[in-house]
Amino acid sequence: MSKLNSILVNSLVAMFFGLMTLWMSYALPLTIRFAADKVGVMLSYPETPVQEIRALVQTAGNWMMERKGLQDRNRELEIENLALRAALHDAALPPPVSTSEMIGARVTLRYPDAWWKEVRINMGSSQGVKIGAPVLSEGYMIGKIIMAGENYSWVELITSASFLLAAVVNETWDLGVINGDDRGNIWLLYMPPEREFKRGMMVSTAMVGDYLPPGIPIGKIWGDGDTRDGFTPRSVVSGAHLTQLYNLQVLLIGDVSGVRN
Amino acid sequence: MIVSIAVWLMQDLLQVLMMGFMLVPDFFMLVVIYMTISKPLNERRISWWLWFAFIGGILWDLRWVVIPGMSGLINVAAVVLVFWVWNRTPIGGRSAALFAGLAGGIHFLSGIAHYFLWAVPSQAATRMFLIQQLLSVPALAVLCLIYAFKTAGQHV
Repeated sequence: MSKLNSILVNSLVAMFFGLMTLWMSYALPLTIRFAADKVGVMLSYPETPVQEIRALVQTAGNWMMERKGLQDRNRELEIENLALRAALHDAALPPPVSTSEMIGARVTLRYPDAWWKEVRINMGSSQGVKIGAPVLSEGYMIGKIIMAGENYSWVELITSASFLLAAVVNETWDLGVINGDDRGNIWLLYMPPEREFKRGMMVSTAMVGDYLPPGIPIGKIWGDGDTRDGFTPRSVVSGAHLTQLYNLQVLLIGDVSGVRN
Repeated sequence: MIVSIAVWLMQDLLQVLMMGFMLVPDFFMLVVIYMTISKPLNERRISWWLWFAFIGGILWDLRWVVIPGMSGLINVAAVVLVFWVWNRTPIGGRSAALFAGLAGGIHFLSGIAHYFLWAVPSQAATRMFLIQQLLSVPALAVLCLIYAFKTAGQHV
């Protein structure tokens, strides 16, 4: 009987602590996030080689599929770059010196409950990542850094309802605000209803801050939403595969030479 | 204990490897269940495994799940249930088949709990759940064999 009692007491105490942790996850989410990040950092040491293997296998598998797409995109960018250089030359302006750098990052955590809101990556402030820095996948912006730890960062996805970003329709120069809805959709808000946009028009970032340069592709216009308060939001389809976010790039703007090893 | 820690780590690394494709079975819980019943039901030992299962569950939650505490609670409930059933079963009836049914059932129920509390129910999630349950069968079979081999000619 005493054997049962002792085990019963231990299990009740353990369950009490378990319920406390559950309560904390709702009442003190930042504390739990802090603990989760610490566990993530601790496990990053044994997990890194496995992530490398995973990336290698994935890269090998996707190589053939992605190659053509990347070649086409590279050709487009080369043509665009040449046109811009020609325009600068005509305007007698010196070509700008690039102060940005792109670093590769891997997704280490994507909570199912926050699937369209945020992901955690394995790059942080020690690699030069700063809050607000744009995060790209397949050359398209998919989010921005909202929290940077030493060796990890949290990325707010473009599909998050709290994500707001000034954007421009490349073909018409109409400005709007990109916003998600936590369900995988992306909207370009505050667009006048009388404006006609063709499906496939490119949407890119507009100038908003030091860490976010204009002209980063976001996606393409796909359709019209419901007119409300005098505006008709346009749905935007991301150029990246948002359901397959594994390897990302973080754009570091400014002098990063002293930060990275 | 070292084996259990290694299994926890292996489960974590497998999940990293398979992230996005499948949910790995809860090998850690299966091993903890096995460890609980593989030796005589000593009070201190059971209590120790109970806390070990709890901490393993909490760490798993902090690494992978958005609701920390859930796996810890499930693991504790699993150890208590296994102990209760094993304690009430006559020594002659503590067979590998009973162990398989018990551990398999608990793993299934734990998967169901995770499915409804953690994942967004969908066709893809159901497929992942089924694959997870199917993949637990070989692990369960191995543990049953070890148990049967260990208890051959004796009863614990």
